Amino acid sequence: MHIEDGILPPRAWVFWYGATILFIIPGIREIKRRVRENLSYKPFLAMVGVAVFVISAMHLPVPVTGSCSHPCGTPLAAIIIGPFATAVISAIVLFFQALFLGHGGITTIGANDFSMGIVGGISGYLCWRLLRRFNSPLWLAGGIAGFVGDVMTYLTSAFELSLSLHGHIPLVRQWMIFFAGYGPTQLPLAIAEAVFTAAVLQVMYNRRPDLLPGVTDRKRSVKIGKIEMER
Amino acid sequence: MRTNNDTMAETASWFDPFTRWMLIIMFAILAIIFIAAKYMDMHSMLGGGTDDTVNAMASSAAHVKAHPFINLPGDAQVGAFSVANFFAGLIVGHNWKKLFEGEEKD
Repeated sequence: MHIEDGILPPRAWVFWYGATILFIIPGIREIKRRVRENLSYKPFLAMVGVAVFVISAMHLPVPVTGSCSHPCGTPLAAIIIGPFATAVISAIVLFFQALFLGHGGITTIGANDFSMGIVGGISGYLCWRLLRRFNSPLWLAGGIAGFVGDVMTYLTSAFELSLSLHGHIPLVRQWMIFFAGYGPTQLPLAIAEAVFTAAVLQVMYNRRPDLLPGVTDRKRSVKIGKIEMER
Repeated sequence: MRTNNDTMAETASWFDPFTRWMLIIMFAILAIIFIAAKYMDMHSMLGGGTDDTVNAMASSAAHVKAHPFINLPGDAQVGAFSVANFFAGLIVGHNWKKLFEGEEKD
C-alpha cells in the first residue's frame, strides 16, 4: 500500500491529503484528551507508533504467490490507542518510512495514510466494537478486526489508484485489477495479522487490562493506570 | 556491605521467562521466513514486494515513471532498516520499562 511519488496526479494526492486531515484533526484532539485521562497513554502511544513503523515495513515472504508483503499493525493500534489517534501516528510513520527507508512517497502520504491509518484502523476498530458488543471472545474479535483491517487497507489502496488511473476501463474492473496485484499475497498475511492482533490483545488483557479502554470498566482502568505510573 | 551490583548479579539471569519467550517467538518467525524463502528459492520465485508490483502496474497504466521519495540501492536498505529497527527497539524498551516495571517487580 506504499504508493510511490509520480503515480497519482496532483489533483488526486491533494484530495487524499485533504481527506486525511479531516481525520488527523480529531486524532490530535483524541490524543490530548486521552493523555489527560490516563497517564499510561503517552508511553503507550510511543510504543504503538514504533510498533506500527516496524510492522508496516516488515516484508514477509509468501511462498504461495512467490512475493513479499507486509502487515499493517493499524487495526491493533486503533483498538488500543483509538482510531483517530491511529490516523495521526500512521501519518508520522509513513513520513519517516518515505524519508529514510524508501517506502512510498511524500506526495502520497495522504493517500497511504487514508488506506492504512484511516480505513485500515477504523474498519478494524468497528469490527472489534461490533463483535465485543455481541460478547464475542476477545481473541476472536481482535482476530477478525486484524484480518478485516488488513484487507480493507489494500482494497482502499487499489481503489485510490483505480480512481485516478482507470481511464476508459470501468472503475470496478480497474480496482479489481490493482487488488489482484495485492490480494493473493495479502490474504495469508491478513490471517497472520489476525493471529498477531488476537494474541497481543489477549496477552494485554491478561496482564494490563487498564491499557484496553472499553474492555474493562473505564473508571477502574484509569485508576489502575494512575497507580501503575506512580510506582 | 552489599551493593546494588551484587543484588543485580543474583537476580538477573541470562534466560529469564521474558527473554526466553521473546527468543522462542523470534526464532519461530525467523524459521517461517526461512522455510518460505527456501521454498521460493527452490522454485525460482523472485520474492519481490507487492507494493513494487502494483506501483509498476499503476505506472504503466498512467504512462508515468513512479519513484519512491528516496532510493536505497543494495545493502543501503538493509543498513537503513537495521538502524531504524535498532532505535525502534530502544524506544519500545524505554517505554516498556515505564509501563511494566512495577508489575515485574511484583
